[in-house]
Order: sequence, then C-alpha cells, then structure tokens
Amino acid sequence: MSPVLSPARLGRWAPPLALAAIWIAMTALNPRFLSAVNLTNLMLQIVAVGAIAVAVVLVLLIGEIDLSVGAVSGFGAAVVAVLSVKAGWPAGLAILAGLATGACVGLVHAAMVTRVGVPSFVVTLAGLLTWQGALLLVLGDTGTVNVNDTSLVAIAGTFLAPELGWALAAAFGGAAVAVVAVQARHGMATLRRSWPWLVGSAGAVIAVVVFNADRGVPLAVVLFLVLLGIGDLVMRRTRLGRHAVAIGSDASAARRAGIAVDRIRMAVFSLASVLAVTGGILAASRLLAVNQSSGGTDVMLTAIAAAVIGGTSLFGGRGSVWSALLGALVVGSLANGLDLLGASPAIRLIVTGLVLGIAVGLDTWARRSR
Amino acid sequence: MSRARTAAAALAIAVGMLGTACGDGPDAERRIALLLPESKTARYESHDRPAFVGRVAELCAECETLASNAGQSASRQQAQAEAAITNGAAVLVLDPVDSTSAAVIVRHAAEAGVPVITYDRLVLDAPVTFHITFDNERVGAMQAQALLDEIGDSDGVLVVLNGSPTDDNAAQFRRGANTVLAAADVEIGVEADIPDWSPDQAQEAMERALTTLGRDRIAGVYAANDGIAAGAIAAMKAAGLDPLPPVTGQDAELAAVRRVLVGEQHMTVYKAVRTQARVAAELAVGLVRDEEIPAGVRTTWVDNGYDRIPALLLEPLLVTRETIAGTVVGDGFWSVEEVCDGLEPECATVGLAAGETP
Repeated sequence: MSPVLSPARLGRWAPPLALAAIWIAMTALNPRFLSAVNLTNLMLQIVAVGAIAVAVVLVLLIGEIDLSVGAVSGFGAAVVAVLSVKAGWPAGLAILAGLATGACVGLVHAAMVTRVGVPSFVVTLAGLLTWQGALLLVLGDTGTVNVNDTSLVAIAGTFLAPELGWALAAAFGGAAVAVVAVQARHGMATLRRSWPWLVGSAGAVIAVVVFNADRGVPLAVVLFLVLLGIGDLVMRRTRLGRHAVAIGSDASAARRAGIAVDRIRMAVFSLASVLAVTGGILAASRLLAVNQSSGGTDVMLTAIAAAVIGGTSLFGGRGSVWSALLGALVVGSLANGLDLLGASPAIRLIVTGLVLGIAVGLDTWARRSR
Repeated sequence: MSRARTAAAALAIAVGMLGTACGDGPDAERRIALLLPESKTARYESHDRPAFVGRVAELCAECETLASNAGQSASRQQAQAEAAITNGAAVLVLDPVDSTSAAVIVRHAAEAGVPVITYDRLVLDAPVTFHITFDNERVGAMQAQALLDEIGDSDGVLVVLNGSPTDDNAAQFRRGANTVLAAADVEIGVEADIPDWSPDQAQEAMERALTTLGRDRIAGVYAANDGIAAGAIAAMKAAGLDPLPPVTGQDAELAAVRRVLVGEQHMTVYKAVRTQARVAAELAVGLVRDEEIPAGVRTTWVDNGYDRIPALLLEPLLVTRETIAGTVVGDGFWSVEEVCDGLEPECATVGLAAGETP
C-alpha cells in the first residue's frame, strides 16, 4: 500500500481535485457559473481545444512534442472553409480533404523526425511558421472566410432533442451495465476496474439533465466524447497504442523488443495532425468563420497546457486520452469563469500559467520519485 | 476513509451552490457589456474604456458596466460575449475584432433578446440595433480638401498612399478622398495601398514614388493616417527634399501633432474617441432604461448586408498648426507639456503655453 500522499497518487488525483476547486471557487464568486446556460457554453468553448489536446496527448505519449497543432488546426479549417465556400464543394468532401491535408502534414513532420533525425521540437516549430503562412495563403486577400454551409454550421450549432439526449445516456448506461456484467462473470468486477463505467454513467445522467435545462445536448460535445472513447480504445487496446506507450517509456528498449519505432511515430504524428484539423473544424463551426487568427499561438499553448494539466507526462509513456478532457475542462473553466468575473487578459494568463506550472511541477516530482 | 469524507463534503458544498445558482443571483441591477477588440493600440484601454465606464456611472446609478478586451482573438470575443449575456447584460456595445466573423455574436445576442450597438467598426450580415462611428468618408474628404487648399495651383503631381487593403474603414477613407480629388484638376502620379497601415511599407512606397516621379515633381502627399505620413516624411527627408511638400494624416497621434507644429506635416484628423465612448454609453443607458434609442440620435442609415442599420456618424475635426490649441489640447487628448516638450518656441507662436491644460 502506497502512502496516502505518494507523488504518483497526487499526480492522478490533482486534475479532478483542481477542477472541483475551480468550480467551487468560481461558483462562490459568481453563482451564474453553474447555470445550465453557462455550463453548455463552457462545453462548447472547450471542444475545439479539447480535440487539439488529444493530438498533443498522443504525441507526448511517444515522448515527442508537436508545437504545430494550433497552426495545423487553422490551416486545415481554412482548407475546409475555402473548399466549401469558394469552391462550392459539399461539406463532407471538404472535411475529408481537410483531414487528408492534416494527415499529409503529419507525415511530413514524422519523416523529418524519423528519416532526417531532426528533434520534433524543431520540426514542429518550423511547421508552426509554415502552416501559419499556409493559412494566410489559403484565406487570400479578404482575410476572413465565413462558413455558411448548413452541414458545417450544424456541427457546433446542433442541440439534440431532450428525448434523444436521454436515449444516448441510456445507451451509454446500458453499455456500462453490460461491461460490468461481463467483468463480474469473469470474476473481475473489482471497483478498480469498474469505476470508470459507473462514474461515466452517473456523469452522463447529470450532463443530460444540465444540457436539457438549456438548449439540449450539443452535437459537438457528443462528437468530442465519441472521439475520446475511440482514442482511449486505440491507445489501450490496440498494438499501435501499446507500442506507442512503450516507445514513450523507453524508445531504445522498445526498439530492442522488436517494435517498429519509426512506423509508430509516423502513425502518431499523422494521427495528431488529423486530430488537430478536427479541432480546427470544430472551432470554425462554432465561430462560423475562419480568419487570420484561427489556430493562433495561444490555441497551441492552451492545448499543450490542457494535456499536461490533465495529467499526461511531458516525459513520455504516461498519460491517457481522458486527460485531454480533464485538462481542457480545467483551462476552459478558468477562462470562462474569469470572463464571467470580468477579469483582465493579464489575470487570465497569470492564473492559467500558475496552474500549468503546478501541473508540470507535480509531473516532474512524480517522475523523479518513481 | 477520511478522503471519502472530504470528497463527500466537497460534493455537498457544490450541490448547495448549485441550489443558490438557480435563484435570482445576488444583484438584479442593470448591466451593460462593453466588448473591446484588443489592447495593443493604447486608445481602447486608456480612452474608450474609462470614458464609457465613467459616463455610464454618471447617468445611471443602478447600472454596471461589464468591460472586456478580446486581445485580437475573435473566438475569445465570442466567449466574452457569451459570458456577458450569461451575466445578464441587457445590451452589448461591441467593437468587433473582425467585422465579418462577429456576426455570430450579434445573432446569438439577438436570439437571447439582447440588443447590440456596434462601436467604431460595423458588424456585417447581422441584426445590429444601432451603429456609432466617425464619418469615415468625411475624414477622407477633409484630408483631400486640406491638401488641395495647401497646394493651390501648383503644376506638380500627387502621391496617394491609402490604408490597408483588407480594412473596410480604409476603403471608406479612400472613397471620400477620391470624390474630392476627382472633382479637382490634379494629376495623381503614384497611388499605392499600404498593407497593415505599416509605416515601414509606406516609407518604401514613398521611396519608389520618388524614384519613378523624380523629387521635384511632387506637389503633395495624401497619406491616409499618421503612421503612413511618418513613413512618407522619413523617405522624403532621406531624399533631401527641403521644404517638404504638404503631407496629410489622421488619428492625431502625439508624434503627428508635433510634426504639424513644426511644419513637417500639413494636417491630421482628430476623432474625439472620448466623445464617441460617452455617446455610446448614453445610447446604451437609453436602451437599458427605455428599451429604445432616443429619437433624433440617428443621423443616417448604413447597409450591413442584413438590413439598413440606424447609425450616428460623428464629425471628425481638422487639426492644423493653428487649430492644435482648440482641438486636441482643448479637448484634453494631449496636454500642452506633451505637445510642446522641447518645442516651446514653436508653441509660443501658435498660442500654446505651459499651464493652459484644461
């Protein structure tokens, strides 16, 4: 039994505790923070950065970094917007083209890292500049492209009918019951294994109550959660995911064990850029536009901060896709709450910086004492 | 065990707060949101915000201003507008980061039944309630007319340096100036758009104009704002032009006012930002109290692609050497000390002396 305050345990519990502390503090300062309207707004505000944070989590897991996620999200979204608005492509095709652009971008980064041997920090720093330039180029002289395709607008603008929200929650609850039942049949239904399903089901019910009190369950939030679920499955249950974690823990040991290190890196970098573009499309659908500041530097910084605050290690091999949700919630709740309080941009940056500093400190401490 | 108890206590507190959140909130006063676009240009935080907040406080004791600044991020501004509406703002006064993508903010506000006054920059394709800004075409016309008056019947040519090609305001300045210049019998030697209103780019454009036109043929320079004027003047000084031909400007930046004082720049245009902020505050309070804009405020209509929007266009003021005292200094925009520091002899000739700051 580890001591109550072991670094590892603190590292695991710090993000949810921080989130709870922020929510309690913000509610105490302005009770409207916990209103259904604001919580719905909060969730819509975090999905884009959350999706980009998933990209960061994947790259951090293999022990690399991607500084270009923000720029790539803006570039990919600009490709989608321009193809849809200026070239008149159907939304589905435009989105596919945007995601394919992301995959190519990621492959270029990975090739530089694996074939040429340039550190990912430098490759993606160069990428940040390049793709920001590509964004300006694609947008052209007008600088802003308004998204008006109904399907693109619907991604972030659709709220499910109350019954449909309940149906989704019921479906998730049913799946949870089934999983726990299977675990029980194999004698594996310990609290340690089953709690995510129980907590998830309870969370789904509370979320549907809150969302239905406002405009309904936002489609963008459902998409984000599905993305997280798939990401979690891939990282924990597939060879790609387990090999990625092995590489992040110790690349040379992984290579000696016969893992195709470079192939996994290729896959993770392109997956990350595709996820970044997904985040960019979510952001464009919410703002109904792509402009020159889309995917700016603060998007990248916020996404990396979210991944690390959520508990993914900067040192590779440790973390989970869910930390993107947790971290995005922490960073998003801070920004949302401080906006409600009318805090200046200065205060917002300082507070977020302090929280990030504490998170990285905990991460470093946990790593040293392993 | 103790951890479980702590968690239970935290949950209890959170649930308790959820309960209070469903109530009416602690204060039911009237709220006005001011959404400013960025903090790098000094005017928003040092002139617009204090003037607006101060005027609201004067007019309406029960009103509160929720001011926020988006730091040049359109999505940040969207989140701040949502926060303002969540906080119960009864009216939004919006200076958009981006005239086009801010439409989503105005539409969201309209759905929530909150009227939007656009401030300084219009929002396109959205149900804006009222628009307040300066008459930009009038600014361009004033600049062009002042330039023509100064040139007289010289037979040289003009250099025209317009603002940023992506700025809708720049297009309006150019329209106003073109109307006046086209009516006069004057030849334009070189015309260029200056990307991002950049003084460096203006300097390069002026250097090219000097090369193509030759230094002796230039009768005057239409510079769309003071930054562009600064670049053009630097280029002409470097080329050894003496005396300098008349150069126009706009914004009444301190450096420009001092150039006007010593005769390097012919004129600038002062837009009374504080007046603009105070009038916007008066309109917002009117909307909060009576749910309508007072009759007679509207001076014109502007078309934003959605509808004809009632608008108030404020008059810009011409600043020349002789009128510095009566405009920027008289209005408290710049103090005598700031304008005259090191230029006391020139100040004395136009009746500006230390200690006269209102």
